[in-house]
Amino acid sequence: MPLLWLILIVLGIAVAGFVLGRGRALKSAGGDARNLHSLPGYYGNNVAIKVIVPSMLVMLVWLVVQPLVIDGSVSATIPEGAVPENSSLGLVMSEVRRTAEGLENAVAAGGMSQALATDPDADFAEVSQQLQDAGQVVTSQLTQAVLRAAQDYREMHVFGRTIMSGVVLVLALAGLAWGLRESHKAFRARNTVEMSIRALLIAAASIAILTTIGIVLSLIFNTIEFFKLYPAADFFFGTTWSPSFSGRGGSSELGVLPLLWGTFYISIVALIVAVPIGLFSAIYLSEYASPRVRSVAKPMLEILAGIPTIVYGLFALLTVGPLLLSVFGKDGLGWMQAGTAVMTAGLVMGIMLIPFVSSLSDDIINAVPQSMRDGSYGLGATQSETIKQVILPAALPGIVGAILLAASRAIGETMIVVLGAGAAAKLSLNPFEAMTTVTAKIVSQLTGDADFSSPEALVAFALGMTLFVLTLGLNVLALYIVRKYREQYE
Amino acid sequence: MYDAPLRKTDVETKNTKIVAQDVNVYYGDTHAIKDVSVDLLDKTVTAFIGPSGCGKSTFLRCLNRMNDTIDICRVEGKISLDGEDIYDKRVDPVQLRAKVGMVFQKPNPFPKSIYDNVAYGPKIHGLAKNKADLDDIVEKALRRGAIWDEVKDRLHAPGTGLSGGQQQRLCIARAVATEPEVLLMDEPCSALDPIATGQVEELIDELRGQYSVIIVTHSMQQAARVSQKTAFFHLGNLVEYGDTSQIFTNPEDSRTESYITGRIG
Ligand SMILES: Nc1ncnc2c1ncn2[C@@H]1O[C@H](COP(=O)(O)OP(=O)(O)OP(=O)(O)O)[C@@H](O)[C@H]1O
Ligand SMILES: [Mg+2]
Repeated sequence: MPLLWLILIVLGIAVAGFVLGRGRALKSAGGDARNLHSLPGYYGNNVAIKVIVPSMLVMLVWLVVQPLVIDGSVSATIPEGAVPENSSLGLVMSEVRRTAEGLENAVAAGGMSQALATDPDADFAEVSQQLQDAGQVVTSQLTQAVLRAAQDYREMHVFGRTIMSGVVLVLALAGLAWGLRESHKAFRARNTVEMSIRALLIAAASIAILTTIGIVLSLIFNTIEFFKLYPAADFFFGTTWSPSFSGRGGSSELGVLPLLWGTFYISIVALIVAVPIGLFSAIYLSEYASPRVRSVAKPMLEILAGIPTIVYGLFALLTVGPLLLSVFGKDGLGWMQAGTAVMTAGLVMGIMLIPFVSSLSDDIINAVPQSMRDGSYGLGATQSETIKQVILPAALPGIVGAILLAASRAIGETMIVVLGAGAAAKLSLNPFEAMTTVTAKIVSQLTGDADFSSPEALVAFALGMTLFVLTLGLNVLALYIVRKYREQYE
Repeated sequence: MYDAPLRKTDVETKNTKIVAQDVNVYYGDTHAIKDVSVDLLDKTVTAFIGPSGCGKSTFLRCLNRMNDTIDICRVEGKISLDGEDIYDKRVDPVQLRAKVGMVFQKPNPFPKSIYDNVAYGPKIHGLAKNKADLDDIVEKALRRGAIWDEVKDRLHAPGTGLSGGQQQRLCIARAVATEPEVLLMDEPCSALDPIATGQVEELIDELRGQYSVIIVTHSMQQAARVSQKTAFFHLGNLVEYGDTSQIFTNPEDSRTESYITGRIG
């Protein structure tokens, strides 16, 4: 039975359960909803939950576990000799899976008889020909062993699915019976539903948390893997970044310092642009602008935040770079060789961060209570005195937090760097020189056909880990500061 | 019922400080103050009393143009300080507020140290010649705000860390530190215990020697104790204005009488 049908049937049972459960509860109360412990709908929901949750959970687990089990038992049947010289059991197994799928599809499409597909002594050349005719992908020539294994695989798969459908349906019906038996006027259906909702929310939260943990763990393991192949000291303190592209030669130098310096330098330029402009526009918008100006200007600034960074990257490459080059390049001051430079990327990234800084600071400035301003004005202070001496000091921790958040975005930014800063990993002080960042190098290490067990590819995880620790540190610091500031007015 | 002795009044000899003529205040469509005309005297404590929401704070805020900071607020009519129209275009509201200080209904210390809270006004207006001078001003203001003894050992602790009543006295100290000519106090004692209230009332009485003090209060006893003149507001109207002794012993308007005897409010 196809999966979709199974799900639909379970849902159907749930709907029926809802109606029946509701009706039964009402009947037990003599048709008067006021005699029920909970509103009638809760009894219906209770039944539906008991139908859906256990059966669907079992189905999910089954779907995950079945292929693992089948894989294990089928791969055990493949004889040693069936694995070709330069291949591995894993590759053979994926061929087996592909063939099994091909058989299934070919039979379903009518391109092959069921008898042939299941015949263990079938001629594998014929099967393979028919599979190809039916438009199924079979890359290399089938062997008898692979065909046998594929047939086993298919058989076990179909069998497993049938059992699963049965189990799921039985569970759904059992849930129905259980829920209906409970649908009595004294039953606290409302509390049960409440608990289920709580369980649902907890499940959602744990998925989010578990995924994060999973990502971090995979980063950590791959980083450790990298450090087994490449000395950590060379990575952290090396001043040259020159991976060899073959991925085989041991001649790569993978020092992170030039990349960190590039990241740091570009982010600083970006913050120098974004912080004053963002902060001043926030002050203007929240303290001076009339409501009319504000209602136009604030959304405009926020549109800036909605522009995808690749567009900023284009802007850097096509507009800002050439513009800077015409001033600082050979025809001008002669400091700049090409359009891609720290300055280009930094300026554009700064523009990208302006709305980020300004809208966060605006919120923080607005959170300073009006009574502070009144107090200051009441003592005869002017507007700018009030801002400088009362509002900004009061909002400062929050603003620092906003700047740190902006900094961690700058550090994580990729596209603008790829297009605006060039690809050369350099330790240089000249802001008109091309440099590159950690993120941009992660991209370039992993694009192309990388061998994922070479240090040149694994270094991406070490870079990612470094970046993660950096931004995490900044974010924690920012949150700590912002939180501390919140307490002041409570 | 008012056992506090009513002070002898010597109002007749005083000059008028603030004159309000036909003042109307609107918040958007809400008509908060209706045709109020009143002469407020120099070197006198004037109490504004009336039920909640009748416009006492609103009228008080007109006197130093604090209502300018509220977008939807519109003030009509004429208010003059020492004969000068304060709503004239040439008048700088900032200058005006330095002369007409204010203590707000809710304590609002700045998130700065206690010292800096008090030194804020004097610094802005350049009242201190040097650091020692500023220290003096701060100490004097804190003493007048009846809070010196409590904070003298922690002048550099944040003002927001004080209790509500201490904060209110800090705000009073902050307001008197700028040496205003008129001091507007909006329920300055609503968060204070009887002892601190007594101290603030003493301060008000002392300030009367130099300034004109206008105080909003919900306590009849307090109005009777500290003020020489009383104005009774009701639903945006100034119902009755006169000598405190007169208002509390022999009010002309029946609404005033009902209010002070506790029948409306
Ligand atoms: N910022 C404002 N925006 C709109 N309406 C306001 C505003 N401030 C006051 N009002 C309205 O103006 C009227 C007078 O308010 P006001 O604060 O002057 O009363 P009050 O006499 O000081 O009352 P209380 O004794 O409770 O402090 C009220 O009806 C109030 O709703
Ligand atoms: Mg008030």
